[in-house]
Parts: sequence; structure tokens; C-alpha cells
Amino acid sequence: MKMEDMSLSGLDNTKLEALAQDIYSDLVEDACLGLCFEVHRAVKQGYFFLDDTDQESMKDFEIVDQPGVDIFGQVYNQWKNKECVCPNCNRSIAASRFAPHLEKCLGMGRNSSRIANRRIASSNNMNNKSESDQEDNDDVNDNDWSYGSEKKAKKRKSDKNPNSPRRSKSVKHKNGELSNSVNADPYKYNYNTGINYETLGPDELRSLLTTQCGVISEHTKKMCTRSQRCPQHTDEQRRAVRVFLLGPSASSLPDADTMVESDCYDASDGQVLMSRLQWDGSSDISPSDSASSKASTNNSDSKKPKKKKKTSLGLNSTGGGGGGSGSGGGSSSQTSLVGLSNRKKKPKLPVPPAPSIYDNLN
Amino acid sequence: FYWHCVQQHARFIERFGLKELLRAKLTECGWRDQLKAHCKDVIKEKGLEHVTVEDLVVEITPKGRVLVPDSVKKELLQRIRAFLAQHAT
Repeated sequence: MKMEDMSLSGLDNTKLEALAQDIYSDLVEDACLGLCFEVHRAVKQGYFFLDDTDQESMKDFEIVDQPGVDIFGQVYNQWKNKECVCPNCNRSIAASRFAPHLEKCLGMGRNSSRIANRRIASSNNMNNKSESDQEDNDDVNDNDWSYGSEKKAKKRKSDKNPNSPRRSKSVKHKNGELSNSVNADPYKYNYNTGINYETLGPDELRSLLTTQCGVISEHTKKMCTRSQRCPQHTDEQRRAVRVFLLGPSASSLPDADTMVESDCYDASDGQVLMSRLQWDGSSDISPSDSASSKASTNNSDSKKPKKKKKTSLGLNSTGGGGGGSGSGGGSSSQTSLVGLSNRKKKPKLPVPPAPSIYDNLN
Repeated sequence: FYWHCVQQHARFIERFGLKELLRAKLTECGWRDQLKAHCKDVIKEKGLEHVTVEDLVVEITPKGRVLVPDSVKKELLQRIRAFLAQHAT
């Protein structure tokens, strides 16, 4: 439609009105056409009739406006009080408690192994025997969590209440390798790190120490639950702890696949520490170990000669394979180490700054 | 001549504004849905597969014109007159 722009002023009202009407009808027609095109396209594309639903299904989804019910007509608490039967223990559990119960029941949750370990540990303490059963599947389940975890694990609050598992941040650093070596090990690892070393028997201590850092914190008197490579403690500290806890004669030789080198120590601190492989070994313990030789271990620690590639478990070295307890820890350590001819990749530091802590403790 | 074209263009834009206004009003007042329903009838009548644009246009347009509510028509006419008055000089 062309615009009569040139002679508008000359038009009288009627013409103007006619013009307006023209324009108006044009506009309306345009709108109609637009609609037609739209509809036609919808028809051809097949979506024209999509918004037609039959009355019946419309009723199904009608908006509900009653109290106590959501707009779909569902009740909020409907499933809360239902009870489910646990497939594992066949108990009837409330629905809202079902998931945590399953975790504990199947032994697959984060905290379930801790609880179990604690139970085992306490029964160990009472029965004075080592439990060989360890839920290996826990290891698997903990893998994803512990692999990269660097959480602080200084304090572990025990998780007595299963209903409110506290997110204790201790690290279970179990790797696949570790579990392999565990299988060969007659004394399985206890994950129960009661952290308070006083409550643990020697067997548990040993197994604990093979998997964890174990360095005793000065202010809390608790063992570090991080992995053997935890950056907060040096290898020396770890070794000192082991000596301290297990005695210089403690800690038998590690397994065949554990790696211990009997070479000399490396003098360089820094590299040694951070590059140390996790050491999994000293759980083969001879029963002759005792914690009574702590005093002597302190001395022996300080006297330790420098060696090249000594593993973190210097405790092992001090103990020796059933070697004499506490006699000149250094020398005995060396001889015992010679016996272990496996190659350990990472060197370790001999000089522990930690013994001072243990002196205090003693 | 150039200015004339510019003016014309401006007017078209403004008319377009009118156009949009009309469409909005028609939708709002339900004219559109009415007409759409009518379309459905036409389509069912003619058969879904064979409907052409022309069919629709022929059927729909006259009805559409009639269906426009009076209020909308009046308002639009008013605006058009104003528009024309604005550009008459």
C-alpha cells in the first residue's frame, strides 16, 4: 500500500476517513493472512493439533487445590512412613531411614567400615586375637574417595551414632596395591584407627601403621590417619612412631611384595619425603614385639646411620625379622634390612625430628 | 527525493508499529483463537493433507474481518487518523 504522503494536506475529511478505513482494513487483512500462513504451516508440519487433548486426560491432570495435597494431588508425606524390608538383613526399616541402614548393612557406605573396624578393634582388645576379616570391598569403595583426598585427618571423632554419621575426615588411603598385599598378609589391616594408640593392641598398631602415616600428634596424642605419604609428616616421624609403638624389635619383615631396600639412606630430606612410595609391609609381626622397648627405640633412632634407600618403616629395620629387642637398634636394623632384599623405590630419611615428641609422651 | 523516501520509510516503520499493535490487541481479545478454531473446522472439512494456503485464506479472511471486536476497531482507526494527521503536513 503506498503512502499518500504528498497530497495529504489537500484531502478533506471524508477522504481522510476513507483512507483511514483503507489502512485499517489493510492491517486487519494482513493479520488474517499472517494467521493463515501460521496455521497452514502448522498443518503441514504436523503440529497443528498438538494442543488438543481429550477431556478425559485433561481431567487426569487438572490442577488440584486441596489442602494437604500438592497441585498434582499427591500427598507429601505419603512415603515417609512406609516401611521397607531390607534385602540384606530382612528387617523392616522405615523408609526415611532405609538408605543409611543399607549403607551400614551392606558395609558399603563411608562410615560403615569404620564402625565395623571399631567393633572389631574393640573385640580384638577383648579377645586378644586378630580379626582376619576385613571388608575388602570397603577398600574398593573408598578408593574414589581417598585417592585424591588430602583432607586433614588429625582428629577422628568416633562415629558412635549411626543415625548421624559425622563426616569425619580421616583418610583411608587404601590403594589397590595395598589390598593386594593385604591378601598375602595373615594379619589383615584394620581400618579402625582408634587413633589413640594406647587403646590398640600391638597387632592392630602394626597393621595400622602399615597403611597409615601414624605419626602421633603432639597436642592430641593421636595418630595421623593420613596415608603413608602424607605431606604433614616426614618419614622419619613415621619411623620414629613405629619404633616408639612397636619397639625396636617389633615389626617383622614385610611381605614379599612390599618393598624395602637395605641400602644406605639418602641424605637429602625434601625429595625423599615427598617421593616416598607408600609402604605396605610391616604387618608381619612377630609376637615378641612389645611396647616396652620404647625407651630404647628412642635411642636407637638417634643413632641410626644414614642409609640410601630405606623405607619408611624404619621400624621394621629396627625390629628385624625376629631380631633381638632393642640392642643397638642401628646395627640390628641394618642386618635386618639386609635380609629384606626387595627394592624400594623411594629413599627415606633416617633422622626423625619426631622422637622429641615421643619423649614427651613417655 | 531522498528525503521523501526517508519519510516514507519512517512511516512504514510506524505503520509496522500499528501492525504489531493490532496483532497484540487481537490476540489479547481472543480473536485469534476464535479464528484458529475456525481454521480447524476448515481443515477438517478439507482434509488435513490437502489444505492449501489459498483455502485457508479464502475461508478465513472474511470471517476474520468480521470478527474483529468493535473496541479494537475503534481504537485502531483512531490511531490511524492520528497517524495520518501527523504526516499530513
